[in-house]
Amino acid sequence: MELNTGDTAFMLIATALVMFMTPGLALFYGGLVRSKNVLATIMQSFFCLGIVSLIWVVYGYSLAFGPDVGNVIGNLDFVFLNNVSWETGTGRTIPDILFCAFQLMFAIITPALITGAFAERMKFSAYLLFISAWVTLVYFPVCHWVWGGGWLADMGALDFAGGTVIHINSGAAALVCAIVIGKRRGYGRDAIHPNNLPMTVLGAAILWIGWFGFNAGSALTAGPIAALALMTTQLAAGVGALGWVLAEWKIQGRPTTLGAASGAVAGLVAITPGCGFVTPVWAVVIGGVAGVLCYLGIILKTKIGYDDALDVVAVHGLGGLWGALATGIFASVGAKGLLYGNPHQLTVQAIGAGAAIFYSVVVTFVILKVIDAIVGLRVDSEGEQQGLDVVEHSEVGYSI
Amino acid sequence: MDKADTAFILASAGLVLLMTPGLALFYGGMVRDKNVLGTIMQSLFMIALISIEWVYLGYSMSFGPDVGGVIGDLSWFGLKGVTGSPSPDYATTIPQTVFMVYQCMFAVITPALITGAFAERVRFVPFLVFSVLWAVLVYNPVCHWVWGKGGWLGRLGVLDFAGGLVVHLTCGAAALAGVLVLGARKGFGRVSFMPHNLPMTVLGTGLLWFGWFGFNGGSALAADEIAATAFVATHFAGMTGMLAWVVMEWVVRGKATTLGAASGAVSGLATITPAAGFVGPNSAIMIGAIAGIVCYLAVSMKGRIGFDDSLDVVGIHGVGGVIGTLCLGIFASTQVNPGGVDGLLAGSSAQLGKQALGVAVVGGYAFIVSWLLFKVVHAVLGMRLSDEAEAQGMDLTEHSETAYNN
Repeated sequence: MELNTGDTAFMLIATALVMFMTPGLALFYGGLVRSKNVLATIMQSFFCLGIVSLIWVVYGYSLAFGPDVGNVIGNLDFVFLNNVSWETGTGRTIPDILFCAFQLMFAIITPALITGAFAERMKFSAYLLFISAWVTLVYFPVCHWVWGGGWLADMGALDFAGGTVIHINSGAAALVCAIVIGKRRGYGRDAIHPNNLPMTVLGAAILWIGWFGFNAGSALTAGPIAALALMTTQLAAGVGALGWVLAEWKIQGRPTTLGAASGAVAGLVAITPGCGFVTPVWAVVIGGVAGVLCYLGIILKTKIGYDDALDVVAVHGLGGLWGALATGIFASVGAKGLLYGNPHQLTVQAIGAGAAIFYSVVVTFVILKVIDAIVGLRVDSEGEQQGLDVVEHSEVGYSI
Repeated sequence: MDKADTAFILASAGLVLLMTPGLALFYGGMVRDKNVLGTIMQSLFMIALISIEWVYLGYSMSFGPDVGGVIGDLSWFGLKGVTGSPSPDYATTIPQTVFMVYQCMFAVITPALITGAFAERVRFVPFLVFSVLWAVLVYNPVCHWVWGKGGWLGRLGVLDFAGGLVVHLTCGAAALAGVLVLGARKGFGRVSFMPHNLPMTVLGTGLLWFGWFGFNGGSALAADEIAATAFVATHFAGMTGMLAWVVMEWVVRGKATTLGAASGAVSGLATITPAAGFVGPNSAIMIGAIAGIVCYLAVSMKGRIGFDDSLDVVGIHGVGGVIGTLCLGIFASTQVNPGGVDGLLAGSSAQLGKQALGVAVVGGYAFIVSWLLFKVVHAVLGMRLSDEAEAQGMDLTEHSETAYNN
């Protein structure tokens, strides 16, 4: 197709916005840990910009978006971005290379999301191996299934901007990580307080603005669907914050800043798969339910007792799952959900979510076990006591 | 006029503006807590100071009607004649006001970049005087030579996509001059200066990386294939710059650091700047890797030579600007940008010679004039803080503030 400068302008900016989410996430997570681990936590998100970008060029884009092999994976035609041109490709009005860059930003942030589950205790070397293996064996295949012409796409699963590919996928992996790696020293016994909540709020704000690029940009064109996605994104985020804060006010007695930040992210996660398929009114419902549901997920975590340090499972896993199902219920724009007379869509959504959860859980488990056998996943007990910043990076976050 | 191009350059101008506060935080996190506000101020205040200079002198000197290939005349003083209709010479599909304000953001961040070299030891008012004079005598002429219509380096065929010469080499050369003239901080080499807030530096890095998409992508001045090429090259060079730097320090010093990741990313981003719209993604990956390795070595050498380039402006922007400008002559390809040139690897050696000339001329000019300027301003106004003020910290002595009051 002919290049459209309007679409290209929009997608250039959207891609930049999605890139910006990864440093945003680094600060969001960085503020939540103890000050002795702030840099290591930041690094585990930020460094994905390096490692995942490299893998993406070498073979990642090809596996995810290369010509389909058996409905499960792309072939190797696009290795080293061979055959990816700066001209427009088939069916798109933007340069191929720009689409490749836009999708790269999603591949970067997804493994970075998982790092919240094993915060404050993983070795940097083990982290590098984990990220490399996980994007290769989990992200690229699942991305291909949903967006690259794989079997979930064929089945008609709806995922506008990555509810299944990104959030369910990372949330399921996070659960396995938290369980396999084990609790932090003193978890449940000592109080573990966030070191810098203003930094977390700043991170949440960067995520929120970046999410407009994430969701609206997923329209791949500057048209009415992008506008709809932007509006639904905004509503779900705002109402998500509201839902979470009201729930914790009711249950714990106080509305918190952390609750507002987490609730906004929960709303954003939940609207991601449906943002271009649902009307604004349903976006309010999706966001509000997400805020309450994800908050309850955290209470449940404390009851069960696994140490998902920064609540990736509750926010991204649970929020993503709700969003995927909600899309099957409320979709009315460009697809029909349960409420619009198509119960089949909900079934398809459930199958997609179930497949992603199952696949991600199994493969993540195997990856972790293998890495544990090779280099060991955790820093030793003394190192954990001292903090990862000094032990793993020879740095300290603050000298104030 | 193209509405999409206009939308893109407006958004890009916003992104490039955001780089200056980003730089303020990047630098602010690396100094000691008693100097964080003074350091932030030296970057942030450029938005005001240089924007004013740009309206009355800078834009006209840089892009106004050419005088002898060396400078624009002052006929656009106060933006006279700069309107919402496109210029016939620059960015012909967008309003000239948009081009003007986009270029303004480049003029703003360049003197702000220099401030990292003399961080923690310079008085505010003499610094402001220096910065305005520097913009007038160094930035505007060099900008005209390279990008102005009729500028002599541009006419010779020296290429600079988004500012390797105009931005990074000029500020790197000025930084070197500043370190030589102003000397080291008290206690340099004896006590270790610990960065006081590295998360803030990472925030700054994130803002810079984000803004750099506007800086390099926007330099296509249209929302087209070239913008996409530059955008992608930018990201990939930032990526390999970060990886290469971290690998180097891991090998040499035994640990991968957050500061290394941040510095490496900026080195890759700075280095790809001149070449961004002329090279393909795989070349950008090479350029970023070269940047990470060479800039790391340059920065480690600093300690041995005994230069107190406090926040590594010479090692990252100066060295990066040189490498990137030369790399353009090596990696450029007309298959990527039909309006560009072929470099050494595409079988043409001519461009590399032109690029080397550009480096020599711009580096030499910026260094000499900056050195003279530092000497003059220092002699007349005294740029250094008194020993006592330096010990107390510039936040208190220069601005009567303290950053953290816990």
